Amino acid sequence: MTMTHAEAEELLGAYALDALPEAETRRLEEHLAGCPEHAAAAAELRTTQSLLALTGDEVQPPPGLRQRITQAIAANPSQSRTAAGSAPADVVPTRRGSRLPRWAPRRAYLAAAAAVLVSLGVGGVIGYQLSASQQPLVYTFQGDPTRAPGAEARLVYLKDRRQAVLTVSGLPRLTAGHIYEIWLIKGGVPVDEGISADPNGNVAAAISGDVPRFDQLAITVEPGEQQLPTTTPILIGNLRTSSA
Amino acid sequence: MSGEPDDRDGEMAAQLKRGEATAIESLYDRYGRLAYGLALRILNDRNAAEDVVQDAFLGVWRNAGSFDVSRGSLRNWLLSVVHHRAIDRLRGTAKTRREAQLESIERTAGMPDPWEAVALDLERKQILEAFQQLPEAQRLTLELAYFRGYTHTEIARQLNLPLGTVKGRMRMGLEKMRSFLQARGVTP
Repeated sequence: MTMTHAEAEELLGAYALDALPEAETRRLEEHLAGCPEHAAAAAELRTTQSLLALTGDEVQPPPGLRQRITQAIAANPSQSRTAAGSAPADVVPTRRGSRLPRWAPRRAYLAAAAAVLVSLGVGGVIGYQLSASQQPLVYTFQGDPTRAPGAEARLVYLKDRRQAVLTVSGLPRLTAGHIYEIWLIKGGVPVDEGISADPNGNVAAAISGDVPRFDQLAITVEPGEQQLPTTTPILIGNLRTSSA
Repeated sequence: MSGEPDDRDGEMAAQLKRGEATAIESLYDRYGRLAYGLALRILNDRNAAEDVVQDAFLGVWRNAGSFDVSRGSLRNWLLSVVHHRAIDRLRGTAKTRREAQLESIERTAGMPDPWEAVALDLERKQILEAFQQLPEAQRLTLELAYFRGYTHTEIARQLNLPLGTVKGRMRMGLEKMRSFLQARGVTP
């Protein structure tokens, strides 16, 4: 199952262009985690890929778009962030509203974590800390048997970066106007960690801070982003082992 | 024509980090046309492009606290968000239309920072030139993957080519672009 060096060599271009199916991506990332040569090549190719965005023409957007964006921001004061440099050392509920890196832009973390995740051969034990103290913490969770049967979540915490990466697949499809919302819970208090509206029931998110200090991870389906959950989680798992 | 990333970008990034909503307006005024052009090129649908651009700007607003200007330009970040959201949307909506079954792709996973090693003063003209100088077969392959969201197997099927050929063109195309730009001092 492990990808050979030669196989990986062939796939680097497609990987950089996000043109690989998921299973192949995971296998390649497993290889990249242990192959600095290919990891560097992949990073270079990816950098070049990002430049393709600049090959197009500028087009004047519709006149109302600017106003819609500014209104959306004004209507969501909770989306204001804490000031730069105030990245929380302590992430307990005071972090609410501090919308630190989570979604698409944090690809380095996602890549690293995904690679580690695969290389550790994550099993299906709910909330079980699989790794040794010097390695990333890896957790897996399963969806609620009735609300999200078959859904699986994996959370990898990178201690040195104080970042976690969450990947979830198989969530129930969203109905119109709904989103998935991710929560970390400590002492019964949920903290909003971001939203996703992937039509395929998949979520990938980077979460900043000392994630293992929280008690639980949960995902709810909400009618738009909420300050607190308004529905029962479709997936919930413990971030602490019984001995923690 | 929008400007290139410069000190103004750094200033906007700082304002965004402080939660100053006016910075989003500045960002929009500067790169809104570029962002919309990219989304429109991918989606070929004005309403969908508009939604994606709005979503991307809100995403930047939400995540600005994490943006590190030393690691790349605000412009590239914004455009990367636009690209991924547009492709997500394209794949999501196109899926039912396509006979071929797309495999679900975790779009946001598995990508090193695209802007880390990129100089802030990349010139679009040279980047476009780098793309245009590619042999047509490579350019088409990159176009289908990057702007149409096709996987390598889909491209191979559409063009009736061996998969290995497509993989090779993807890598060669990117490497040629890089070499072209390196020779002109655009990328390190």
